[in-house]
Amino acid sequence: MPEQITVSLADDAIGRIDEVVTALEHGGMHVDQVLRPIGVITGSVDTQLVRALGSVAGVAAVEPQHTVRLPPPDSEVQ
Amino acid sequence: MVENVGAGLTGRYLLVLNEDLLGDDAAARAAVQEISGMERVVSTHDGTAPVHPTLFSELGVAVADLSADQLAAARADRRLLGVEPERVQRAIGLSEEYLRGFRDAAQFLHSRVAGTVATAQFGDTDKLTWGLQATGVADSPETGAGITVAVLDTGLDLDHPDFAGRDIEARSFVEGQTAQDGQGHGTHVAGTACGALAPTTGRRYGVAHEARILVGKVLGDDGSGTDADILAGISWAIASGARVISMSLGADVREVSTAYETVGRRALAAGALVVAAAGNNAGRASGDPGFVGVPANSPSIMAVGAVDGALAIADFSAASTTVEGGQVDIAGPGVDVYSSWPEPRGTNTISGTSMATPHVAGIAALWSQRTGATGQQLWAQLVQAAQRLPLPASDVGSGLVRAPGA
Repeated sequence: MPEQITVSLADDAIGRIDEVVTALEHGGMHVDQVLRPIGVITGSVDTQLVRALGSVAGVAAVEPQHTVRLPPPDSEVQ
Repeated sequence: MVENVGAGLTGRYLLVLNEDLLGDDAAARAAVQEISGMERVVSTHDGTAPVHPTLFSELGVAVADLSADQLAAARADRRLLGVEPERVQRAIGLSEEYLRGFRDAAQFLHSRVAGTVATAQFGDTDKLTWGLQATGVADSPETGAGITVAVLDTGLDLDHPDFAGRDIEARSFVEGQTAQDGQGHGTHVAGTACGALAPTTGRRYGVAHEARILVGKVLGDDGSGTDADILAGISWAIASGARVISMSLGADVREVSTAYETVGRRALAAGALVVAAAGNNAGRASGDPGFVGVPANSPSIMAVGAVDGALAIADFSAASTTVEGGQVDIAGPGVDVYSSWPEPRGTNTISGTSMATPHVAGIAALWSQRTGATGQQLWAQLVQAAQRLPLPASDVGSGLVRAPGA
């Protein structure tokens, strides 16, 4: 099953973000966004392949994406 | 002319010069002369070691008599970091006066506990929301001019008359939706952070009324958004020159997210301060202090709690946890907050740490305008200037956010 993930680059890998993207794609990740100013890559990957992405050179962390949800607009506490 | 005589004050004022004047005796002297109207400014640099210098050149501090007009002008003067009444200082010891003060304070505290003295109680007036009064925004000469503030939320009612003529760049990161706010939350928080000095109707509710506004729609009209959209919004805000990024959003997740912490740290390094709502998951009346969630629990993202008009902690405002970064860093007005809302309604009064957060973001813009500070330095200024409250630091961090010059 594909899972939405966020990949954070290590500080020393920011300069070679394109190489890391290529390596992540080889690892089975479908890349949606490459956020260069913050060194983050988002996308999806099959659940079985998530763990292996964590050991790609230049990757600091691979985390599942969360969804945030505001209370309805008529609720008193926002 | 002299308004502050008595009560331990000398009637004169201390002028704290900015860093540009520090060490430049001639420029400092000229500035003090101009601000105070003094004919002769005696500096500690004068060879004769004067007994009563008026300019302490090495300290960047001057002492001056000021008329009411001069005082008002000095408070707005960018060459000064601050203007304050000169006090008569005494060594700390058990003098008769000290003991008298101690007695008065003890009596005050006793009567307060006994319920005969009212605690702080702010309320909206015809001119100002209670939050702008309590944080000193109403008394601050800063406007946010020249500072870019990003508000990442449900977008903005771009046709709202209170935002007419403003420098706004809007972008949607939600697939299939424009930056137009179809929910209300985003228009409310943008109003608090950057709303007009003189709204088309009703009282002033906005802090940084001359700031440039980046509206990043990262939450859809249904109020929900993914990490991918939010991170894309932060990335865009940094690339677009945001000095402050306001995020009234979060998830009830205790563990710190490496992605948000990394991004918060990189934002600070790039000169952008990210502030986020601590969360509304407490129920203090029933004994539940809640906890600070993602992304506010990132050490490099400033977590904002909410206080009410009596400067008491809001029932819903999440408390600090022992997770590194899981602490509340500062507090803002977050109960019964009046601000803009999509037309035709126009305005709305709601509560939440979501409402406290844009107070901090807007005030951060005022500080950055005044001192030029960015990133970590701006963080330090906000925390340092916060008004300490008689509440646990685990609830309000360093206290209530305070505007410069207030």
